[in-house]
Amino acid sequence: MKITKKEQEKKIKSRSKKADDKQKLILEILKTHGAKIYDDLDNGQFPKFSIPSRSVGNIVYDKQLRQYILGNNAALRSSRNSAQLRSFTQLMWLAFFANRLTTERKSSTLRDVYYSSQAFAVEFEDQSESDNIIVDLEAVTSRAREDFHIFPEERSSIFGDLNIEYTIPGYEGKTMNLANHPDGYSIGPSLTTAELVSTSAEIVIAIEKGGLFTRFVEEQVDKKFKSIILNTGGQAPRSTRTLLKRLHDEMKLPVICLTDGDVYGEHIAMVIKSGSANAAHLRELTVPDAKWVGVWATDIEKYKLPTIPMTESDIKRCYDLQKDPRYQDGIWKKELDVFLKLKRKAELEAFSKYGLTNITDKYLPQKLELAKSL
Amino acid sequence: MSSIKEKFNQISPSEFFYSNRDLAGFSNPTRSLYTAVREFVENALDACDQKGILPDVHLTIKAVDPDKPDPKPYILTVKDNGPGIDAEHIPLAFGTVLYGSKFGLKQARGMFGLGATMAILYGQITTNKPVLVKSSSDGKIQNQFEILLDIQKNKPVIVKHTTKEISKTGLTVSICLEGDYSKAGNKIRDYVYETSLITPYASITFDDPKNQKFSHPRFVKEIPAPPTIIRPHPHGIDVERIRRMIVESQFEIPTIDDAMIEKVRKDLGLSVKKLSFTSIMDKAKKKWKTLPRQVRVVIALMSFLKMDFEKLNKIKIEDIDMPNKKLFYWDFGDSQSKSVDMDPESEYYKQLTNTVQGEPLTTFLTKRFQRIGPTTAVKFAEFAKFKPEKRMGTLTNQELVNLSDALQKFEDFMAPDSSCLAPLGAEPLEKGIKKFFNPDFVAVVQRPASAYSGFPFIIEMGIAYGGDIKSGGPHVYRYANRIPLLYDEGSDVVLKVVNDTDWGRYKVKGEPPFIIVSHICSTRIPYKTAGKENVADRQEIERELRLALQFLSRKLSSFMSKRGQAEMAKKRANLYAKYIPMIAEFCTELSGKKKEPNYKKMLQTEIESENKKAIKEENEIENN
Repeated sequence: MKITKKEQEKKIKSRSKKADDKQKLILEILKTHGAKIYDDLDNGQFPKFSIPSRSVGNIVYDKQLRQYILGNNAALRSSRNSAQLRSFTQLMWLAFFANRLTTERKSSTLRDVYYSSQAFAVEFEDQSESDNIIVDLEAVTSRAREDFHIFPEERSSIFGDLNIEYTIPGYEGKTMNLANHPDGYSIGPSLTTAELVSTSAEIVIAIEKGGLFTRFVEEQVDKKFKSIILNTGGQAPRSTRTLLKRLHDEMKLPVICLTDGDVYGEHIAMVIKSGSANAAHLRELTVPDAKWVGVWATDIEKYKLPTIPMTESDIKRCYDLQKDPRYQDGIWKKELDVFLKLKRKAELEAFSKYGLTNITDKYLPQKLELAKSL
Repeated sequence: MSSIKEKFNQISPSEFFYSNRDLAGFSNPTRSLYTAVREFVENALDACDQKGILPDVHLTIKAVDPDKPDPKPYILTVKDNGPGIDAEHIPLAFGTVLYGSKFGLKQARGMFGLGATMAILYGQITTNKPVLVKSSSDGKIQNQFEILLDIQKNKPVIVKHTTKEISKTGLTVSICLEGDYSKAGNKIRDYVYETSLITPYASITFDDPKNQKFSHPRFVKEIPAPPTIIRPHPHGIDVERIRRMIVESQFEIPTIDDAMIEKVRKDLGLSVKKLSFTSIMDKAKKKWKTLPRQVRVVIALMSFLKMDFEKLNKIKIEDIDMPNKKLFYWDFGDSQSKSVDMDPESEYYKQLTNTVQGEPLTTFLTKRFQRIGPTTAVKFAEFAKFKPEKRMGTLTNQELVNLSDALQKFEDFMAPDSSCLAPLGAEPLEKGIKKFFNPDFVAVVQRPASAYSGFPFIIEMGIAYGGDIKSGGPHVYRYANRIPLLYDEGSDVVLKVVNDTDWGRYKVKGEPPFIIVSHICSTRIPYKTAGKENVADRQEIERELRLALQFLSRKLSSFMSKRGQAEMAKKRANLYAKYIPMIAEFCTELSGKKKEPNYKKMLQTEIESENKKAIKEENEIENN
């Protein structure tokens, strides 16, 4: 089907309108909060606001949303309280800074924020203090930092037949096919904010490790299995999880996760599926339908994989996760129990024992087939 | 194996200390120089204290040959304005070990004046020089002695003795000893400095080997009341001590010989040689009240024997059997043992009972102990399940143990008499701390007297914060009987109590500019070692220290919280001034406004109000 130039222009317009709308929404949120503070001051009062409590006691699991959320506890932050005044000011500055970033459509990293503050005489002791204030902003606005153009250092990447169209300044309307570069594309601000235009893929395969990602690209897993391959680089960063969610929601692609055969791998898949307690203040970061297809504990025996013994901390992690409400049934519980029974683990690379392509030739097809019934 | 023949020799105290000088703090040239300084300075201060003289003590240390490297011989001289020592006592006092005037139950810095002799002994051993003593006890004649110790015989050898006229009393002692001032100097200077804090009524000067002068003039004109010698407190006394007291209290049956008879005659005022038994008894009855105890006993015996002096000369008393009321004697004339019955109703019988069986329990308690009146004594007897009239001489070993236990357990004795103690007093202590540290806050307390093992003690303590005090505290100045304790602080009970304290609870945080002065006064300080540097953790002492420290810490806490409130108010004012304008700036842009919000008046009011709060709290601290 051929698209006329006019149609295309219209499409671009509508897409950039969508980006504009989002920008407007974010700016509106910031403005509302700012105006409240302004009014307090204008009325001769110490400004204050309330912020959902992120203490452990206020993090609860929501069965319907299938993720951790914050409960109803909220704390009042008052600029009259000298113990809170500093962080109050820091948060105000951050909102002010986020407002500029969003207005100018510029991106920055967590580290940038830490240094940028110094230009405004707002001191942060260290980056962990500024990171914390960023989470405060997320909690107050219920928006992820990426919405405010603040990104973590990237280490995850994506490859496959996916057409995108940039919305960041200077690239508006430019398109890209993500199968053009065999090393994959790193998932940064421009990709996260890009419009997802079209794809021939039928599934997204999220892999825990860069090495395997490269192998999958080499073995043309994208073509053989009509898939988009995504390297989470260990625990998936939020922008990656956002992108996964968009691929699932907007492109209607199922998402499967392939991790190391250990308790940490299992949890990487779980976080993609239902989020982490650390981000309980945010929604829109989960892919509830995502499936973990391996490496399972039961695969270790089934595929006769070479194993290494679990460490003390592996075992402790197993016991910790057993208390997590999300690990109370299904394969999550079953595999966790088997890990604890075996007290051994296997990495994705373990399949290399049977040849470098064993994992893509034998294991993956079986798992893809299995995924349909999960 | 061949049998080992060991030769047991009695050694003199001098010899004993010569071979065990480490015990007394003379282990090496550094420690020895320090200990020698201490011993002489403390003797000087003790001597002045006892006579109520405001002490002027001059300490001088000079190297014999300044160019020699340490350790080397030094001449240590301590001069005081005390009462001096009579010429006749000087050789023994400075030339014998274990000769002293301090053997009594009262507080003094040194117990027996032993340390000074040790220092002299150490000096003689290391340099072979005599001690030089200059003393005037009348303020007219000064006796100068040069004395060596004969270590084996524990006897003084007078090398030289001269006299000269002088106008003041006082004692100067000068010894030559091997020392290491380069190492001991810090401690000696600290010692002099800390001594002057706890002895604010003394002027102390120190000329050191490097020709530096340290002068600590007195800043308190009143000398604390000197301690009195007292009887022991019943709490914590032990069986052995009671046994000794009973022996002291008992009176032996006098041997009736010619000398005794002559004494009885004389005391009765009998001039006639031959006097009948009845006239002797008549005379005795009239003079009874003036008669000494020995004479009374002889008269009592005569009353039952019904003998005059002539007959009395021919017998020997064998036994006085009080329970059976019989008196046994040996008659030299008939060469046989005889007995007479004693009439229990007779006054003389009572006299003998007292002598033979000792005092009744109640009398023993009231007479021999402090703080026990007749009522308490009777109450105690009931508590201890003894008859009040129980004779002390008749106690069995088991009864002695029971009595000792009961004395410790009975709770109605009054607190021990602290008149034998000489605490510095809260006021001079506070004055001293203020002068030495110029602190922002000071509090002192003197706890009521308490006792451990029968020895009374008093805790005095002071706390100071801020001012000239260096941070890194709490720094603890430990004193015992007005002696600064400088060594081995790690194992000291005071340190233990201080370290057990959670200072955060008292709002003292970080490395505060903070000192604690602790003074334990007792008739006997339970030192852990003979070197007298750290106090053992007796439960009773620890408890009193804790109470004193808690009391002071609460005061400090209230100061800190006032100061904290003042600081907080100031801090709030500063924070408002710094941050509120920033918030205003950020929210103006954020909300898309052109003009900043109208907040300046509100901010000004708040800052002023916080500053006012700060001033108010500071004034309260000032007024306390």
